[in-house]
Amino acid sequence: MNARRIQAIARKEYYHLIRDFRSLYLAFIIPLLLILLFGYALSLDVEHIPSAVVDFDRTPESRDFIRRLDASVYFDVVAHPPSSAALTELLDRNRVILGIVIPPGWSAELKADRASPLQVVIDGSDPNTAGNTRAFVTAFIAQANERNLLDFLNRQGRERIRPPVEGRIRVWFNEDLESRNFIVPGIIAVIIMIVGALLTSMVIAREYESGTMETIRSLPVQAAEFFLGKAIPYFLITLADVLVAILMGQMLFGVVMKASFWLMILASTVYILVALGIGLLISVKTQSQLVANQLAVLVTYLPSLLLSDFVFPQQNMPAPLQAVSKLVPATYYIDILNGLYLRDLSFGQLWPSFLMLALMAILIGGLNIRALKREGL
Amino acid sequence: MAADAVAVTDLVKRFGRFTAVDRITFSVRTGEIFGFLGPNGAGKSTTIRMLCGIITPTSGAGHVAGFDLFTGAERIKQAIGYMSQKFSLYPDLTPFENIRFYLGIYNVPPAEWPERIEWVFAVTRLTAVRDRPTRELPPGWRQRLALGCALLHRPRLLFLDEPTSGVDPITRRHFWEFIRQLTVQGVTVFVTTHYMDEARHCDRVIMINAGRIVAGGPPAEIVAAVLPGQPEADLGDAFVALMRREAP
Repeated sequence: MNARRIQAIARKEYYHLIRDFRSLYLAFIIPLLLILLFGYALSLDVEHIPSAVVDFDRTPESRDFIRRLDASVYFDVVAHPPSSAALTELLDRNRVILGIVIPPGWSAELKADRASPLQVVIDGSDPNTAGNTRAFVTAFIAQANERNLLDFLNRQGRERIRPPVEGRIRVWFNEDLESRNFIVPGIIAVIIMIVGALLTSMVIAREYESGTMETIRSLPVQAAEFFLGKAIPYFLITLADVLVAILMGQMLFGVVMKASFWLMILASTVYILVALGIGLLISVKTQSQLVANQLAVLVTYLPSLLLSDFVFPQQNMPAPLQAVSKLVPATYYIDILNGLYLRDLSFGQLWPSFLMLALMAILIGGLNIRALKREGL
Repeated sequence: MAADAVAVTDLVKRFGRFTAVDRITFSVRTGEIFGFLGPNGAGKSTTIRMLCGIITPTSGAGHVAGFDLFTGAERIKQAIGYMSQKFSLYPDLTPFENIRFYLGIYNVPPAEWPERIEWVFAVTRLTAVRDRPTRELPPGWRQRLALGCALLHRPRLLFLDEPTSGVDPITRRHFWEFIRQLTVQGVTVFVTTHYMDEARHCDRVIMINAGRIVAGGPPAEIVAAVLPGQPEADLGDAFVALMRREAP
């Protein structure tokens, strides 16, 4: 291994990079777009559910119920349709997700201490939102019942009664249940895969397509020197993207890392090496920029997005898919980032994931060098 | 024998069941221009790629610039210069950047870089286009740059694979003059071509067809031996005559 040769290859690669408009676009515009897109659009939080209430009862009690519903952060009462048919129309047109019908005589039944049903309809097209809506409505109605129960008991002359079981719930690590807090680490993982693997998947294939691979073969360049020289410029660009992503996560979304910045950089470094290794390996094997590019999307970007615990929770996956997800590098990186961002964990607690990433980096680096040696380097 | 720049014995290269080079034996003396002639597909490129350490021979023995073909590929690459007709520089890099790339790859100490860069621009006459992208240069100029790059580390042995194909006659004459100057300085030049008329620039040639050597020696001697009593015949005529003789 010779530092001057590695430097010569890295410098050449840097020239290719700054002169290729498409690479630069991929390297800087795509990450920015992803952060904005995922950060703003892909909010998984359910609040301000558009709701409609048909009030056939028209009593102070029914109006109080509607006012309390509207006052909750989870529901916005956006319409007061006059009939059940009008409510159906609103649900059909996707104007509201929740519809409640208060039947005539509802409050009278309540006052007579008789069961007094409400009709609740939820749009189930999006199961995630529907599930959350159902949970919020159930909790809301339970509160209403509790108030009524206390009223009833008070009227019976039993004062200061307390509910028998009271759960005091505290959410740890992400107190406000903000999905952004785990989306930002996920975006960083996806960006590294895109920039790291997608960009590098082109760089050796390009040498084959332009015939310069034969030049490289004829020169005293060793496989490891070629690999490192190719990787260095892309490593720096990807690392720059990580810093931009951390900064944007902090400035735009207020997602602040709780744990050590340097631990984050260490994890990113190893993970970037894995991504670059995958991209370069695809590039040597396919020897075609087009095929390499598509393969890189297939084996890096999509698994990082879908199988890494980022968008879909791994514990809900069927067993074979869970096994596959254990082979996805992003799984371990996101595990580390969640530990650092949300839980303030230390290296002592995160080392298994670090170890897995390091082993993957070594394995992929070794495969690269073997592939390049077979190609005559 | 060891003083020869190149010496190979029974060299064979097979790709699967196809034998591209079939037991060739020859040597190249230090300081000569050695021509390697034959039609396209005869095994010229395969041979030169073996000699340059790019591919490993299937069997046989040989050494190039003092290093073994089977174990010294890396050192052969460092010792020789190699330029191919397909030999591509990086088109998006300028001549200056291409040159700097080669200086780094050949591990030339940076203290010597300014002097080498000045020398290569002087011999290639490319100073005016130093900072233009290489892709914008005419093919003949790119060829000069490629040759200059192959000489940056001052190799004692130069391999040229079809160096003049697609180049105009004036450039070709300049090219051969330049090659002659190099040999005066003691550089050995191994050149392949399918232009038979270019063989007159060579001290000795071998002719190859279908992976086998069909004739070898100084060009005039080959013509005299194959076509005795025909003083106006050239190497091309001799080659055609040899092909006829080989055909059953």
